[in-house]
Amino acid sequence: MSNKPLLVAEGIDKRFGITHAVKKVSLTIDAGEIRGLIGENGSGKSTFSQMLCGIYTIGGGSFTLDGEALHPHNQVEANNAGVAIIVQEMGTLSGLTVAENIFLGHEEPFMHFGIKNTGAMNREAQRLLDEYGFGHIKASDMIDRYNFEDRKLVEIVKGTYMKPKILVIDETTTALSQHGRKELYKIMDAIRADGRTVIFISHDLGEVIEHTDSISVLRDGEFVGTYRTADVTEDELKRLMVGREIGSAYYRADYGEKVSDEVVLTVDNVSVPGEISNISFQLHKGEILGFGGLSECGMHEVGKAIFAASWDRTGTVTLADGTAIDSIPTAIRNSIAYASKDRDNESVILNESIRNNIVLPSIEDLASHRLLNNRKLTAFADKNAKDMQTKMASVHQFVSELSGGNKQKVVLARWLGKGSDILVLDSPTRGIDIGVKQAIYALMDDLRKQGKSIIMISEEIPELLGMADRIIVMKDGAISGEFLRDPGLSEEDLIAKMV
Amino acid sequence: MQKNNNQEQSKLRAFFSSDTFKGMLPFIGLVVIVVVMNILTQGKILTPKRLRLLLSQVYYPMIVATGVFFVMTLGSIDFTEGSTLGLASIVISKLSFVSIPLAIAGGILTGAAIGAVNGFFHVKFKLQSFIITICTMYLFRGVCAYLTTETAIPASTEIKALDLNWLKISITIAVLLVAWFLFRFTRVGNDVKAVGSGETAARFSGVRTDRVKFFAFVAAGALTGLAAFVNVVKVGSITATAGSQLETQILIALVLGGLPITGGAKVRFSNIIVGTLMYTVLNNGLVMLGYETQTQQLIKGIIFLVFVALTIDRKALKVIK
Repeated sequence: MSNKPLLVAEGIDKRFGITHAVKKVSLTIDAGEIRGLIGENGSGKSTFSQMLCGIYTIGGGSFTLDGEALHPHNQVEANNAGVAIIVQEMGTLSGLTVAENIFLGHEEPFMHFGIKNTGAMNREAQRLLDEYGFGHIKASDMIDRYNFEDRKLVEIVKGTYMKPKILVIDETTTALSQHGRKELYKIMDAIRADGRTVIFISHDLGEVIEHTDSISVLRDGEFVGTYRTADVTEDELKRLMVGREIGSAYYRADYGEKVSDEVVLTVDNVSVPGEISNISFQLHKGEILGFGGLSECGMHEVGKAIFAASWDRTGTVTLADGTAIDSIPTAIRNSIAYASKDRDNESVILNESIRNNIVLPSIEDLASHRLLNNRKLTAFADKNAKDMQTKMASVHQFVSELSGGNKQKVVLARWLGKGSDILVLDSPTRGIDIGVKQAIYALMDDLRKQGKSIIMISEEIPELLGMADRIIVMKDGAISGEFLRDPGLSEEDLIAKMV
Repeated sequence: MQKNNNQEQSKLRAFFSSDTFKGMLPFIGLVVIVVVMNILTQGKILTPKRLRLLLSQVYYPMIVATGVFFVMTLGSIDFTEGSTLGLASIVISKLSFVSIPLAIAGGILTGAAIGAVNGFFHVKFKLQSFIITICTMYLFRGVCAYLTTETAIPASTEIKALDLNWLKISITIAVLLVAWFLFRFTRVGNDVKAVGSGETAARFSGVRTDRVKFFAFVAAGALTGLAAFVNVVKVGSITATAGSQLETQILIALVLGGLPITGGAKVRFSNIIVGTLMYTVLNNGLVMLGYETQTQQLIKGIIFLVFVALTIDRKALKVIK
């Protein structure tokens, strides 16, 4: 590892309206290292790196890359200067081929007198894909033919083929399976070996510690410090991120508690064409039932199917009293709640106030003679949002202004307010920082003790092992294994059933 | 000193892009248009006689706008008002020889039926409202033209005798009150706004989105049918051009009134009233100033464009459903 600073950030600053997202951050990054960048949601790590990559304009301060000032106005300029990013969200464009996506903004080598040589572009893209070991992806195919993970792999090629001096990987691993992650780590190591640099942003501290040389911590937009990875522990990092001690009780601690025999929900032979086939299981009172698998295994569709939100479901979902759940309003009326993995589209209404998001399913309960009392609605929303300790200016604030963790709190406040007894939580802690995560786990444990039943669908194996009374593992749309809560259960046991 | 200036500037800029300012803009616009028109016409627009004429032109667009308001809150659009008004006016005129209450009911039902057709195709076949209502607009305009080719359709003298200001004012106020009540104090208002802000999330929160959308289109149609009654008592006989271009007038009026074209949570009931008044004053002023029709359209187009650019919520921008 050389000690020549590759990137110097001085007094980098950014405001969005009243939100001061990044507060005068100064740090240096060396050539030939993998630098972890961590912080809670809203700590400014994504904003910081997106200014570096030209996605946001720099609000104040300066970047110096390799001795030269860097002030990119867009991603292509940043790319040309030697900075590339792989983003958290979907970073490929639908309606274009894989090759067109890889060379987006860099088509010149394939242009002759304004005409694109598609064949040459496809050949070059395929050569890159093969070289990276992603030969199963065809350069000439439309990108839409591929799933989220393969599209991320395409993005990795797009971000790294031109050998950037700095590659920013922003929360990419959550979208990848174990296999995809290993490929990504290999690429990171290769970049370091080449004397170039990776900035690695992730919520998974274990992963950060395992794969970085040093770690920079941000908190509330401020730079806390840079630490050699070898010198810090996970608990120390958590403390630095949150600014206070995080207790060791992260998941529930009990083992061997007996779950009630009382069945509250029976799923019988449920299929959704192309997604899941012949799923049957029962959920018990006070049970946390985990669903695990790779992201495309169909487990997310199971959640939708229970809530009757699938478009084309066969089979039956029935409550203990025999009520069949065949529409969303029936599900809600019969005390079933659902929090989607796709939080921004399917759970919260972004361009609506916190109040109206929370009251939506309860609106008929709150009305008297079908008339709404606005003061009552506001009080109801306020109470439930505050019970969840949602960070907000008031319940009239729009949900779009909240961080991921606070959006999830709004979703939970909505269903706790409704008093639902069966909660289907799909990826409840996805993209959520430690503080809120801990609160959600504690809440789930509480709910369980109150006799509420929870179905927790998750791509994070430790969370399943830590929280669930029983874990159903799925593969290719069908149930492939079932495990009971046990301290001896390991990640490998589950993975074996997933792949 | 320099720094202070900058700070003040950025504060000012923040204010101009804030929702408070955008919310005030329609009211400011109304005052500006009234004042400008009053100056340009040398005070003629604010004479009692003119005001009475102005008012007489406000009733039926305001009733129609109230219905369309619900559709646009969904983030949808309805282009059928003009042909609905034409067809409903024909039905009312014909039935007015039988019985007045029957004529009114017939008008409302005709409108509701057209709204139901729009709603049905929009909900069941998941077609964009934009496409369907353009199709049905031509369809019903065709029916109108067919029915009025021979001669204009006259209405009975009994119905023409109802051209009374107090009646028209009462109907308009009643419509506004009922709609306001529905919008503010029942779950209808919450539901339409929720669908406009985020349809999928609304559906996942238990809103019966299909029913809500269907309701909005039927309401828009029914109210246009009622407006047709107000139109018939005023004009007395129906020609092929009845209600022509009404849809764009309503669209412009609502957008001038501050209704975001994307619908959703930032919609205000006042958009209807402010918008219709503004449009009517603008329209009248331009006529009084003696501009030719083409020039009038040009000016209206520019004002509309400026308003959309100023008021649109770029964060919520998406294709109109």
